[in-house]
Amino acid sequence: MTTPANLMQRRQVLSLVRHEVGRSLFSRRSLAVYLLVGMPLALMLLRALFMPGSMRADATHATTEFAEVFHFFLLRFVVFFANAMIFVRLFRGEILEKSLHYTLLAPLPRTVLVLGKYLGGVLSASLILMFTTTLTYVLVYLPHGSAGIRLVLSGSGIANLASYLLIVALACFAYGALFMLAGLFFKNPMVPAVLFLGWETLTPFLPTFLKVLSFVHYLVSFAPVPVSLGAFALLARPVPWWIALLALVVSSAALVLIASRVARRLEVTYSAD
Amino acid sequence: MSTARIVFRDVSKFYGEVLGVNKVNLEVAPGLTGLVGPNGSGKSTLMHLMTGLLRPSRGEVSVLGIAPDRPEELFRLVGYCTQYDNFPNGSTGLSFLRFALALHGYSKSEADERAWTVLAQVGLIDAANRRIAGYSKGMRQRIKLAHAHCHDPQVLVLDEPLNGLDPMGRAEMIDLFTDLAKEGRHVIVSSHILHEVDVISDGVIMIHGGAIVAEGEIREVRGEITSHPIQVLIRCNRPRAVASRLFELKHIVEARIVEDEGLLVSTRDAPDFFTQFNRIVIDTGVIVETVAPADESVHAVYDYLIGEGLGGGSA
Repeated sequence: MTTPANLMQRRQVLSLVRHEVGRSLFSRRSLAVYLLVGMPLALMLLRALFMPGSMRADATHATTEFAEVFHFFLLRFVVFFANAMIFVRLFRGEILEKSLHYTLLAPLPRTVLVLGKYLGGVLSASLILMFTTTLTYVLVYLPHGSAGIRLVLSGSGIANLASYLLIVALACFAYGALFMLAGLFFKNPMVPAVLFLGWETLTPFLPTFLKVLSFVHYLVSFAPVPVSLGAFALLARPVPWWIALLALVVSSAALVLIASRVARRLEVTYSAD
Repeated sequence: MSTARIVFRDVSKFYGEVLGVNKVNLEVAPGLTGLVGPNGSGKSTLMHLMTGLLRPSRGEVSVLGIAPDRPEELFRLVGYCTQYDNFPNGSTGLSFLRFALALHGYSKSEADERAWTVLAQVGLIDAANRRIAGYSKGMRQRIKLAHAHCHDPQVLVLDEPLNGLDPMGRAEMIDLFTDLAKEGRHVIVSSHILHEVDVISDGVIMIHGGAIVAEGEIREVRGEITSHPIQVLIRCNRPRAVASRLFELKHIVEARIVEDEGLLVSTRDAPDFFTQFNRIVIDTGVIVETVAPADESVHAVYDYLIGEGLGGGSA
């Protein structure tokens, strides 16, 4: 069969993306991700159920409340670990399933393989996490009745949500690239993931020259509502959005490039894994 | 390197300190080639090296002139049925093949059409939409063969492909391999069951402890083993008379009657034996039913070369 190389590679990437989206959204192992992203929703539902009447009357706090929930729970915990679960599995999951060789036996360059899997992961993670973020956002405002709904649907409400969704999407690109690489390098990538979470959590308390080595430092540049990071946080000048965007895109691309280098030397020795 | 052959040049593979294969030099021509050796001898390592799933620690491999580290070119020509019995979670036979064909660059409709054709070839039409996890061992073996064969490769590498198949399935698959080899393709079949390889292969590669101990047509390999006399089994109406005449020949080492089988003769000079045997037949007027080599089998040759059996693998 003779198919032009660019058409063939486009088909291959699309097939890989479809395959990975199917695996990430509909497999039995996705249950752990759904349980994780269900946590903020469950918490917001409980909050809505048990919110005192005096608080329900005042919707103005909701914007700050969501900002805090987003920074300290959604971004630093849910988004981080959901990405870890989805992207680590791209390669490590198939190695553990002993089914990676089927993809390695296809006529596709390893760079295309890495790219297809990565894009599939980004699409899956973005879909799940953007949906969760939107729902959490709505649930924060919902107990405040019509005033809350008006705030959500107002210009600033929609703009704020769009900014949060942009942060989530960028986080999927950046953390995704990192965790895919970790899945290629480490037999148990969750250990480096937890260590990296520690680093990301410590970021507010680090001097500026170390802050730049974390993703969260750039991600929060897009946050529409500032939050207090506590008395011990070392404040740094906010990174301009275009530098933050450039830093995230370049570092994600570099990580994907390293991953494809590693994948080119990948061997199938399941017994050793 | 040759563009029509599979070539190994001084190839070694180490897993850390453990030797996989050592200094392998091979040239595999088109046709059906049996790769024979006991479990752990290095058969799968050799096949993995051929298909780029492993990289050689030393030396180089080329498949029809292509290095295995160029998958985009290699797997247009090569299909590999591995020994791994695992499949992507949740796959059905049809979805498994569709995905493989999509990765080979086929459009959705082409992939569909090919998938159904190959499923028919391996007899899995009725199970196409069932999950592979629910397949029997034999069905899983068939779907792996379909996966290796679905893109119509020039080189088919099959690691223990007949494992788990029932006798009917084995016969069908052997026919398929033979047909593919007759079309001028490379079909490399590994097995630790020597009888299987004996039946299907044009040539054999014998491997033991990571080293190639012999390669070529089984008759040629047997002919080169001078340390063991060649054995011939004769079925005739007067074996004792033939035996007594044969003992007059200097190169006859042994001639004994094996019950229900015939006269088993061991000779160090096969060409002279056959000349003299014809004369004996004419002189004595015995009626000969069959004359057949008794140890020109892969099993016998392997035994002679390695000095040990393959652990019950002759069935």
